[in-house]
Amino acid sequence: MAGFDQLGARAIAAGVAAGDFSASEVARAALDAIEAREPKIQAFLQVSAGLALKAAAATDARRAAGEELGLLAGVPVAFKDNMHLLGTRTTCASLMLEHYESPFTATCVRRMLDAGATPMGKTNMDEFAFGSSTESSAFHRTYNPWDITCVPGGSSGGSAAAVAAGEVTLALGSDTGGSIRQPASFCGVVGMKPTYGVVSRYGVVAFGSSLDQVGPFGRSVADVALAMDALVAAGRDPFDSTSQEVPAGFLAHLEASVEGMRVGIMPDLMGHEALTPEVRAALDDARVALGDQGVEVVEVDLPHMASSIAAYYAIGPSEAFSNLARFDGVRFGYQQPGCTTLAEQTALSRAYGFGAEAKRRQMLGAYLLAAGVYDKYYYPAQQVRTLITSDYRRAFARCDAIMLPAAPTTAWCFGEVSDPMQMYASDLFTISCNIAGNGGVCVPVGLGADTGMPIGVQLQGPAFQDHKLLRMARALERGLEESGRIKPGSVAPAFAGKGGELA
Amino acid sequence: MRNVREVLRDWEAVIGLEVHTELTTLKTKMFCDCRLSHDDPPNTNVCPVCLGMPGALPVPNERAIEAIVMAGIATDCQIQRRSYFYRKHYFYPDMSKNYQTTQGPVAFCMHGHLDLEVTGQGAEERPEFTVEKAAGGSYVVPIRILRIHMEEDAAKMVHVGGTEGRITSASESLIDYNRCGTPLIELVTEPDLRTPEEARLFMEQLRQTFRTLGISDCSLENGSMRCDGNVSIRRRGDERLGTKTEMKNLNSFKALHDALAYEICRQAEVLEEGGVVCQETRHWEPSRRRTVVMRAKETSDDYRMYPDPDLAPFDLSDEFIERCRARVPELPLAKRDRYVADYGLKRADAAQIASNPAVAAIFEEVVVAVAKDVIPTVANVVVNLLPATRAVTAAQVASLADLLANNTITFAAAREVLETVDGTDANPETVVDERGMRQSTDTDALKTTVDEVLIRCADQVRQYREGNRRVIGFLVGQCMKASHGTGNPKLFNQLLRERLKG
Amino acid sequence: MGLTRKEVRGIAEYARIALTEAELDEMTTYLNEAIELLQPIREYNLTGVAPTFHPIGDLSNVMAADELDANDRALELGVALGNAASTQGRAFRVPSILGDGGGDR
Repeated sequence: MAGFDQLGARAIAAGVAAGDFSASEVARAALDAIEAREPKIQAFLQVSAGLALKAAAATDARRAAGEELGLLAGVPVAFKDNMHLLGTRTTCASLMLEHYESPFTATCVRRMLDAGATPMGKTNMDEFAFGSSTESSAFHRTYNPWDITCVPGGSSGGSAAAVAAGEVTLALGSDTGGSIRQPASFCGVVGMKPTYGVVSRYGVVAFGSSLDQVGPFGRSVADVALAMDALVAAGRDPFDSTSQEVPAGFLAHLEASVEGMRVGIMPDLMGHEALTPEVRAALDDARVALGDQGVEVVEVDLPHMASSIAAYYAIGPSEAFSNLARFDGVRFGYQQPGCTTLAEQTALSRAYGFGAEAKRRQMLGAYLLAAGVYDKYYYPAQQVRTLITSDYRRAFARCDAIMLPAAPTTAWCFGEVSDPMQMYASDLFTISCNIAGNGGVCVPVGLGADTGMPIGVQLQGPAFQDHKLLRMARALERGLEESGRIKPGSVAPAFAGKGGELA
Repeated sequence: MRNVREVLRDWEAVIGLEVHTELTTLKTKMFCDCRLSHDDPPNTNVCPVCLGMPGALPVPNERAIEAIVMAGIATDCQIQRRSYFYRKHYFYPDMSKNYQTTQGPVAFCMHGHLDLEVTGQGAEERPEFTVEKAAGGSYVVPIRILRIHMEEDAAKMVHVGGTEGRITSASESLIDYNRCGTPLIELVTEPDLRTPEEARLFMEQLRQTFRTLGISDCSLENGSMRCDGNVSIRRRGDERLGTKTEMKNLNSFKALHDALAYEICRQAEVLEEGGVVCQETRHWEPSRRRTVVMRAKETSDDYRMYPDPDLAPFDLSDEFIERCRARVPELPLAKRDRYVADYGLKRADAAQIASNPAVAAIFEEVVVAVAKDVIPTVANVVVNLLPATRAVTAAQVASLADLLANNTITFAAAREVLETVDGTDANPETVVDERGMRQSTDTDALKTTVDEVLIRCADQVRQYREGNRRVIGFLVGQCMKASHGTGNPKLFNQLLRERLKG
Repeated sequence: MGLTRKEVRGIAEYARIALTEAELDEMTTYLNEAIELLQPIREYNLTGVAPTFHPIGDLSNVMAADELDANDRALELGVALGNAASTQGRAFRVPSILGDGGGDR
């Protein structure tokens, strides 16, 4: 039989339901693949073999009892390590939470498990999701499956790499300024950031509460659509005040025709100096592929987009400072021993527990929220947010989705980008989507002619039009597949088939 | 130091109050579904939300929002439809997130007022109102309320190794998060209060109001209602405000009054000796009857407030506000006025009955069940006898009032009857009969008693005859005693006078 | 007109992050660069533009019924205290609060 990494989520769930193989067999195959591939990828911070086998056995028992199986029956899934799962640690890749045992399970994780998914473990990330390369993890690097001298992107680099290397079929990440879409682009997988409010944030360690959104990674748009169905099927989450009701049916309408739909492009942006020629070429390919599927291309403009980095770095760090204030070493987290006063204990615990970037963001946030400073940056940033949102509204009156790069370049090598400002600038094409709260998805377009590394193209859609956005993403994928540029579902070649045979 | 009444002749005090009230009548906390409870073992009612665990998110308790809107309606506040919750940051472990979720510049309730009626001795603290006082012995003054906002209470901390459980000199502190996240409303007055008595009355009236609304048990003792006072003084006639100090630990009405009185006198002494009042927070020490400095407040704290991104804005609908309005019961002042108008009660009696929702409920039940001429007797029983009881029914009060009104029993007997039926379903009339408490109207029997007393109390008889008419009261008392309370005191009085005349 | 080292030290004290002298230098440089990055938002005329604090459309008045723990989120004592480094009995424990002249509340 084939390796489990050759199967998509739908095929695994169908195979388990049909009795072609058991969920336990799939789980063992995934554990086998992880064991074989992980030494070179290091996508995981914790592999939850015990939980995985137990969940898979439960799925098999349900089938044996004749019960109906969930959408993701037996599908191996990994979770970014800022998502709580009872029975695992939730470290956020930080020394602060090195030994933190999850006291409960996050809603998004719960929904995947309720759909029958098998939890394989927790994936590496930039510390507290501050970063774009997963290099700021306090524990170890994660290597890009397409070239292990390169970063997988970030902050959800572990989740993207685990999917790209075929260690799991699906993974969840979180996206505050591009942390799903950029690593998806770097690792050649599909990554979706739904509209803010579509997926519950309850149980996901917050970075920027008004920007964070959870979403899935998969090796095809269909797998991502299936995961979205599992995430929203139970309705809005009463534990998250900002969560909203969204109908399921992402997969059901995925193949519907896009004839007559319109995609917006921004000619100015296409000529942006930061874009490498191969990324520009990929955007052209994507435009052609969408055209082949009957999508009309229109020009749109987002005049305030240039300010989105500034707005983002006012809003994000302010919210991060506030969200991370709770890490004082009293109720949880690292506590400096031997301190005689609370203030000393707090300051030293935080100094040890947080890495450099986590300290930088919190310091910036603490400054930006100070009396007198708040009115100079934070408040106007929220006004600029209104302008950016209006830009999108105007643009979406003329098109169904906007096409953008997911990142200006392909994956860079370790240590190549160490300056924070340079790192921040690389978020240019993804963060305006978080500022407006819209949905965005990154679809692989193929390998760059110069670097040979994966390039993804990003589609952004209007708020709560994520079904239509995924339909457009699928059209793009179909077009590229038809022209032979990509093969959806495929694993990074160096790792395909390494371990993970379905016995 | 001079006493506060003297000081207030030269100085005017400017007082503002911040009153925190826990919504103790709710079932759950402000932002999670943990049980509200005062007496569970430490850290029993805690969940990821109120422990501030990473990933936890708040969801506001609808009943709490209704309660604060009701509080706003009851204090004539403008109910703000649009408002946000804010995060107020400070590193202190009694707030598990190191920020408190509270409201920003716009609170649910803005710009209300309570009218205070200051009577009796307390009115004398305010010298400039002597004219009005001469007229009615009291004055009425409106106290403006700046705002009432919604927030969450902090955890309880026990400081170990220090004196009196205070934080100073403690070597460590223990934290219990059961209280953390309890719904709390904070009312801030404008600095309209001028005397400690006004401050005390304001708190009393506020407590009556909130109790009537049923939103809190308002226990100062248990800390479910807490008050901080700000006070500054200025020379009479001066428009400029003085430097204010903030008073903490005002956990009784007496403490509130006495701490403000002390602080006014202390500030006056400092200023009269040419010193300056420092802006500081002071702690009231009831045992030593003084305030001591807790901390200097040189700069205002920077709480880095900003709208909480985890909580959707509020945009209260007319329907929501009207639903709250419909749930506001008749308030104590309106009730008092109605009792005066409808039942001819004395204003003070009416106010006393109206101030306690449970007492008022019994009164209202009885008053519709008895004849009109019995109502004054009902009021008498409710005001003077009911407060000492635990569980007396309206039917028992009605029966007792009838027995009193038709002179079947004496007031002394009524007290005993009420004590006997308290907590049971016994009929007062049965008790009266069982114990032979019916007043005797048999004049011959009473005459015998009177004669016995007159013989026994020769001294008092002589005093009476020498012109000390007041001694008759003593003799009536002796007769009542001798008749075991069954004699009618009026009849005894009459018979005694007749006998002494002869 | 950038932030001085002394101001940055003050922010670090407020944010309860102990910084070494070398870290303080780096942090000062970083904060001034970051603030420079934010300048574009000060260049718009934002008069009359309402802020968007929540990217949630018209969502408002989200509340929950006052019902006891229907979902049983209350934690067992062992779990509640399980991640804390210092506890005593049923309570979380912290060292002296006023040792540094910090505030009483």
